[in-house]
Amino acid sequence: MTLQARYADVPVETKQRLFDEVRADIRFKDYLFGCYECGICVAACPSARFYDFSPRKIAQATGREDLGMFYEQLNDDIWNCSQCFSCLRCPRGNNPGGLITIMREVAINNGLTSARQALEGYGRVVYKIMSTGTQVSPDMLQPNAFPDWGPHVAEISENLELWRRALPPETLHTTTTAWYVDDKTLTELYLIWHMTGVLDMIKEVDEGLHMILNDVMEELLEEAGYSTT
Amino acid sequence: MPETVLVVGGGPAGLEAARTVAQLGGRAVLVERRDVLGGTPDESHYAALTPNMGSAQEALDILRAGVRDPAIEVHLGARLSAFAGSAGDFTASVTGADGATTEVKAGAVVVATGFQHFDPGRETQMYGYYEHADVITLPDAEKMLSEHRFVRPSTGEPPRNVAFIQCVGSRDRRLGNDYCSKVCCGVASKEAIEIRRLLPDAKVYIFYIDMRMYGYWENEIYWPAQEQYNVNYIRGIVTEIVAKEGRLLMKGEDTTMGRPLEVLMDVIVLSVGMEPSRGTREVAALLGVEQNRFGFIATPGEPMDPVGTSVPGIFVAGAAAGPKDLEDTMGMAGSAAAKALAAARQAGVRTAGAVS
Amino acid sequence: MPIPLNVIEARRAQRDERGPTAPPTEDIREKVFELEAKGEWIVQRVPEPWVGVTTKYGRIKKIPAEHTWHHKSCGQCGHIPGYSTAIYWLNRALDFDYNDPKDQTSCTAWNYYASATSNVGAQAAVAMRNFGAAYESGYFPTIHCGTSYGHYKEVREELVAHAELRDEVRRICDKLGKPFVMPEEIVHYSEWVYAMRHEFAQRRVLDLSSIDVTVHPACHYHKLVVEDAIYDPDVYGGQRTAVVSAVVTALGANVKDYSTWFDCCGFGFRHILVQRDFTRSFATLRKIEVMREEANPDVVLTHDTGCVTTLDQSQFAARAHDVKVGVPVMSEAQFAALAMGAHPYRVCQLHWHNTEYRPLLEKMGIDWRERWREFEDDLERLRKGDKQFLTWEDADA
Repeated sequence: MTLQARYADVPVETKQRLFDEVRADIRFKDYLFGCYECGICVAACPSARFYDFSPRKIAQATGREDLGMFYEQLNDDIWNCSQCFSCLRCPRGNNPGGLITIMREVAINNGLTSARQALEGYGRVVYKIMSTGTQVSPDMLQPNAFPDWGPHVAEISENLELWRRALPPETLHTTTTAWYVDDKTLTELYLIWHMTGVLDMIKEVDEGLHMILNDVMEELLEEAGYSTT
Repeated sequence: MPETVLVVGGGPAGLEAARTVAQLGGRAVLVERRDVLGGTPDESHYAALTPNMGSAQEALDILRAGVRDPAIEVHLGARLSAFAGSAGDFTASVTGADGATTEVKAGAVVVATGFQHFDPGRETQMYGYYEHADVITLPDAEKMLSEHRFVRPSTGEPPRNVAFIQCVGSRDRRLGNDYCSKVCCGVASKEAIEIRRLLPDAKVYIFYIDMRMYGYWENEIYWPAQEQYNVNYIRGIVTEIVAKEGRLLMKGEDTTMGRPLEVLMDVIVLSVGMEPSRGTREVAALLGVEQNRFGFIATPGEPMDPVGTSVPGIFVAGAAAGPKDLEDTMGMAGSAAAKALAAARQAGVRTAGAVS
Repeated sequence: MPIPLNVIEARRAQRDERGPTAPPTEDIREKVFELEAKGEWIVQRVPEPWVGVTTKYGRIKKIPAEHTWHHKSCGQCGHIPGYSTAIYWLNRALDFDYNDPKDQTSCTAWNYYASATSNVGAQAAVAMRNFGAAYESGYFPTIHCGTSYGHYKEVREELVAHAELRDEVRRICDKLGKPFVMPEEIVHYSEWVYAMRHEFAQRRVLDLSSIDVTVHPACHYHKLVVEDAIYDPDVYGGQRTAVVSAVVTALGANVKDYSTWFDCCGFGFRHILVQRDFTRSFATLRKIEVMREEANPDVVLTHDTGCVTTLDQSQFAARAHDVKVGVPVMSEAQFAALAMGAHPYRVCQLHWHNTEYRPLLEKMGIDWRERWREFEDDLERLRKGDKQFLTWEDADA
């Protein structure tokens, strides 16, 4: 463990501004009360066993407004969290996993390189959910996407179209989406992304992806008669 | 005509209050729901008292002897079934086990209905008290220690190691028991010492959030536990207990070392905190005294008046008012008795000289 | 030294003597109804008939038996469609009326927990849009995925607590022309399976008394909003969520315990897609290997998409490292369906699963070779174009 603070060259004002953004989230007061550093969150945390990661330190740094540690965590630690919420065992009612969710949103909204790097390779999933209304689809089961799952994935991939037709539920006869989503529903989803500013977040993560999504969505929204202004 | 003080509850607080009332020339009526006097220290089989390690039963015997007094009327196996009136002129109905009801007139009341130990099956950490026989509570341990033994309930054999987990049912927002139960750090350390005395080869650990032994408890219990008896204090609370290889596996974080830990234990003792007893809740409702948000009897005059309740003429002593140790309890009992008697006498004077 | 045999029973008796204690947390359903009374939203009531189940602090939760709107799960329908098919099959086996909607979106929580490319407003709006769609259909939402369920419980807490969030989402629903509805209960399908377990047990055709099962509880089911999860005093002494274990016992199989019961499976949301060494290692070292060593089960049952996926798919790579793996994984819905005679391929679609499940089927008395032949015939018919799709009638032929 280094004694020298990382990111010493980043101005304190930047760190303060990012911290204030985290604190301004409406959920912040629900997620952080006091912390008596009991460690039950670490004890329950799966990521703490595999990474140099501590939900307790997240709660402590946030509670103390320790900007140096906060900024380090914002860049180096938050993507290790497995968002399982085992840390909700906290007797004070803190939610370190929830604090991390807010921190991740702030990292993305501010275009932090570490956030972009963490989400490299994730673009296809973002595209899938944003454009089809389901997060994964049968046609994502490709051997090059899941090489460690073994040859079984290749078998599925080769037989995909046929096996999908061999499913009794009518809504599952799809390959590009997990289930059949009608156009009106897709349009409603786009409107939600649009009205809540999520599309702007995607722009920070992947500009190319954002362009494609924007075009697809605008077209569909216009067809459905919604204005995007 | 000696004024009468009704004392509800025959544990240490009630016994001391009744005895003090008699000593000051008053008359006490003591109502106890069990068939014996002694309260929770007796019902939960307390062995040695904290911190001086004196025998609980010997201490209780002294208190019991104190109420063998013509000025004290003791009702065992009895409960309050009705209550009315105001300071100087209360009327209570006391119903015995046989169903017969006696009417008691009193000038003042001391509520000494005490606490109950937190039920560990309810809490949000997963300790498996109703699954694993070798997970026990502080009172379960006291029971064994009062019989001068300490064994694994599952095998009957002495354990090779024992762990205490502090703050079970206390300091927990998810349970609504935000408060600290005050005595469990001292009691756990005391029990740890007793176990080490009985089983010199056993390793004993205490897993804590904060170690709270105030005043002389620090040097009379905490330091000896570490220095003479090698009790290991580890700062980090346990998230769950599961069975493994016939023993108990506990998962925690050793926070001062900054690493997760998993240890196999033979016996795990849950340091369960205090909650208001059923009696405290029932009597508070019956008497119309306010309870605080945790259900204990409220003492609005704190800290300068730790025994006055929201109703004039009704006083509280002991853990019915919240987590208390025995020193607090004995102090409150004396103070409540004196104030109760004074209240009864003052009201009596007023009544005697009243102009209608 | 005599070994006391009834330590646990004695403790339970003492507990009964002390009497019930009030639940320590507020009942959010009361707040939900208060908001309805103030005109803030509509509360969709659980339809009759419903079954009452107990949750963590002894409260009763209403589980609708039928007239349910099935809120589907991405990973389930996408990668392990036998799981969803089995849930529908169980409904049909009990002749229950249900709705499989085409106007349902993903809860989007997998994306949210993985990448956080979303925010509290979007997540709440997605939830309320789905609840609105259910309400419009007249069917009551029942949720297939553990993460959707936990996430929606969180959304409910946030909407109840923050008026400005309600206002934002209401505006969005108004623009979408959707009613602003909060269901009376948020129901996970596994709670329905629990509520119906005796019905399934009665219709069981296989003898499962020699089948050993380890149960993995989904983190998002019982760790998010802890008070709203099923606890049963007869199962684990009421100390752990009973929802899947009680079903296994009702079906006559054996629940075996293991020391990492409370551990996450390691899905990680983001990790299983882009940081897979974590998921693989965690699932095999902390869960599967421990289950093998301590319980040696015939099958692992769980009630969530991510958990089935993680535990099933992670085992292949681990074999290269001599890690003790090789236990088949499926949902309790598929297991219950098999117990009732459902076709392992037409209904449970086990050919999508990775870890070897055929010895399990043999042990359960299922002739998988014959069943696979039947399914291959179905596939041939589909290939030739004699049929476009496999139907429910085909499934039970």
